[in-house]
Amino acid sequence: MTQSFPIGKLSRPFALTALALAISAQAQAVTFDDMLNDHLTTDQVVTNGMGLHGQRYSPLTTLNTDNVHQLRPVWAFSFGGEKQRGQESQPLVKDGVMYVTGSYSRIWAVDAYTGEEIWQYEARLPDGIMPCCDVVNRGAAIYGDKVYFGTLDARLVALDRETGRVQWIKRVADYQAGHAISAAPIVIDGKLITGVAGGEFGVVGTIFAFDAETGDELWTRPVIEGHMGYVYENGEAVENGITGGEAGLTWPGDMWQQGGGAPWLGGFYDADTHTLLIGTGNPAPWNSHLRPGDNLYSSSRLAIDPDDGSIKWHFQATPNDGWDYDGVNEVISFDYEENGSVIKAAATADRNGFFYVLNRENGEFIRGFPFADKITWAEGLDENGRPIFNPAGRPGNPADVADERGESVQAYPAFLGAKNWNPMAYSQDTGLFYIPSNEWMMDIWNEPVSYRKGAAYLGAGFTIRPANDDYIGVLRAVDPRTGEEVWRHENRAPLWGGVMTTAGNLVFTGTPEGYLKAFDAVTGEELWGFNTGSGVVGTPITWEMDGEQYVSVVSGWGGAVPLWGGEVAEVIKNFNQGGMLWTFKLPREYAQ
Amino acid sequence: MGKRNWISVLAASGWLLLAPPSGAGELSAAALETAHEVTRSQASAELLRRPALRDLDEVLASGHINIGLYQDFPPYAYRDEQGEARGIDAEIGRAIAAGLGVEFRPFWIKPGSSLGRDLGNSVSRGHYLRPTQVADVMMRVPYDRDFSYMRDSTGEYINKSVVMFGPYQREQWDIAYDAGRLEGEVTLGSFRQQRIGAEYDTLPATYLTATMGGQLRDGVRHYRDVGDAFAAMARGEVAGVMAMRGELEHYLAQYPQHDFRLAEAVFPGISRQQWDIGMAVRESHRQLGYAVEAIVDRALREGSLGDIFQAHALVYRMPDFYAEILGQTE
Repeated sequence: MTQSFPIGKLSRPFALTALALAISAQAQAVTFDDMLNDHLTTDQVVTNGMGLHGQRYSPLTTLNTDNVHQLRPVWAFSFGGEKQRGQESQPLVKDGVMYVTGSYSRIWAVDAYTGEEIWQYEARLPDGIMPCCDVVNRGAAIYGDKVYFGTLDARLVALDRETGRVQWIKRVADYQAGHAISAAPIVIDGKLITGVAGGEFGVVGTIFAFDAETGDELWTRPVIEGHMGYVYENGEAVENGITGGEAGLTWPGDMWQQGGGAPWLGGFYDADTHTLLIGTGNPAPWNSHLRPGDNLYSSSRLAIDPDDGSIKWHFQATPNDGWDYDGVNEVISFDYEENGSVIKAAATADRNGFFYVLNRENGEFIRGFPFADKITWAEGLDENGRPIFNPAGRPGNPADVADERGESVQAYPAFLGAKNWNPMAYSQDTGLFYIPSNEWMMDIWNEPVSYRKGAAYLGAGFTIRPANDDYIGVLRAVDPRTGEEVWRHENRAPLWGGVMTTAGNLVFTGTPEGYLKAFDAVTGEELWGFNTGSGVVGTPITWEMDGEQYVSVVSGWGGAVPLWGGEVAEVIKNFNQGGMLWTFKLPREYAQ
Repeated sequence: MGKRNWISVLAASGWLLLAPPSGAGELSAAALETAHEVTRSQASAELLRRPALRDLDEVLASGHINIGLYQDFPPYAYRDEQGEARGIDAEIGRAIAAGLGVEFRPFWIKPGSSLGRDLGNSVSRGHYLRPTQVADVMMRVPYDRDFSYMRDSTGEYINKSVVMFGPYQREQWDIAYDAGRLEGEVTLGSFRQQRIGAEYDTLPATYLTATMGGQLRDGVRHYRDVGDAFAAMARGEVAGVMAMRGELEHYLAQYPQHDFRLAEAVFPGISRQQWDIGMAVRESHRQLGYAVEAIVDRALREGSLGDIFQAHALVYRMPDFYAEILGQTE
């Protein structure tokens, strides 16, 4: 850990500088009310999602379609060292200090005015970590006087916000079994909640809650049918009900015992219903023919009581998944009016290519529609939102073939999904969702000769390919009431960064080519772009300080895309890695 | 700037002023010169985050060889309580090191989702998190021409960066069963009424849950490894275990108090019921492969290789290639 105290510019209000904070040793505590109001507050960003519901909508209008061309960089901060790879974080801002995480489980506090480092903390990672999909971290949580983040060896770390000193470190799961934490944790009323990524075959996805102050375990909730959840009372584990009621309802044999479903992306919070909305990963083993049944609650969205981990409702997007369509993508709460009444809805854009609007009070399916151009695995959704499977779209059972390469199946979308982890945004002004999506497909076939750990194996081969010659990424503006695509912006490389929208009628997102871009939220016209020097796969934020509006984003190409070859590799092979935090502002003289 | 220039610049700037390796006094002047080169190339590998890709001369000059072994994989390779490398592949690795006159160093490999991935992570490229760490030779790599020359959708050879050589064992699938619970000839069909165990995410797990129209599916119990499956059979949880024959023989010897036996079962529908096991080196380091192959070939022909298997309670089965030349001894 390194620490340094920058010399702030004394020309600006002394009380707002990081130097002053360091000296006064009195940073303002972040309260749950701060977090509940984060989407309404303009001078700080204290939650992942710019609001606990994850809408990523700022009410700021200072920066808008008329003046965004005057947006300019004011500072940049290098993550340093030799470690680069994917930077998928969303920064947080509180009292003039920015908290940002980086690859290899690192975190910094930076003076939000100057970009000077206040402190750095680097987790000491063991040699044996095996994260599946790059060494990314997707952001921190702040609460009280602490900042929290998860590490690649599946620990939660609580640091003092002012000094970066360790307050506690909690082992959440065993990294040697392949577990890791890359998602931003969420704090709900003093409870620090996280899922865990990965895990060798034989592991069941679980959600964990800890006391944010002490790190004490509060509850656990396995997401696969048949497993007991627990609450902890005075350090004792007390049974709190079996997920799904009992074992073996939707899984054959003993397969529920190792069903997968890792909730690796974390969740968001709906204050109206006091609910954590979180998604679950795909089921194990990968061959869907071996586990006939729905395999609950894999590839699902869960509504969870944050007080004890009970499941209030579930919605499964891909029953009996055979395409690696994790169901982890964010569920965003929003209200809309229909026939004079307010609908309390929640929306999610799944890897499987469908967009779902659910009633967030009970999980009932309101409507769903494809947002991807082409979907081959299902012909549509029935009235309950369940997919109508296309039998020809399911990969064959490798156990059925003797010697020949099995028939190759073309599946749209590819296993990386019509939309992956990178979060969409919802504008309260336009009523549209802005979805960072990708048009790609995969060939899947049974491998005639395949080996694993010195033994013959029944493997499947797959390659990922662009669906079109000239673009993969598509930023889409979609109306959740009609399914209409209002506008789209195509990008040559796959989109892997998050989206933000503002009351200034703007939509921001980054591209692997290195640009942070701004679009007109109504028309989709591209209004501004800045090349950050490496691919942008992080998520932008905006806030104001001293009456000026700022925008920040991390830059650094990586993540899962470059780890998969196929024809997509051709598109991205010349992108260089990086590790830089960029901050822009609209100078006062250009604001109206 | 080329790699050599980089090294000389770095050396001149004091980055590589490393002490000579201990024991240098036992080496000839020429070898010492080479040893310095080797030390340099390893240090620069760390600095440049490149794999230490060592050819035969570099291996000999360094005085050690990194033998790639799958971890936690009895009877083939595992660590004992003192952390020492044990098992059949570890002993063959020691014999290779002794034959080259260098020190044996185990390089532990955590198996990935496929052999191709293991070869990339452990031999040819290095894992992206540990790009400087690779084995010189990897053990227990299937020797299969179809696999070696497999092509991807664009016609490229998938495994072109490694060469697979030196078959030293024939492996096959089988079932071990509890003769106290199953009588008469034991076949797959015997497990319609009785439970059978398999390791997660292996061909036996896939095969047993799919074969015979899924009739066995509900009776399959999945375990972390074959050792756990045998422990479950000893508890009476399953009446049989399907796994590689070498693993089964190893665990049969661990349970002498039980009447566990091999079924010599046949598995309709499995295209590769038997396969040969060999080794792999980087494609550019064939010379190292030839030196290693010569040592293993001699051990196989002289019988010392078979002795290693027998010392681990396995019946030695020659790979196809030797069985044709020498005649199967089983």
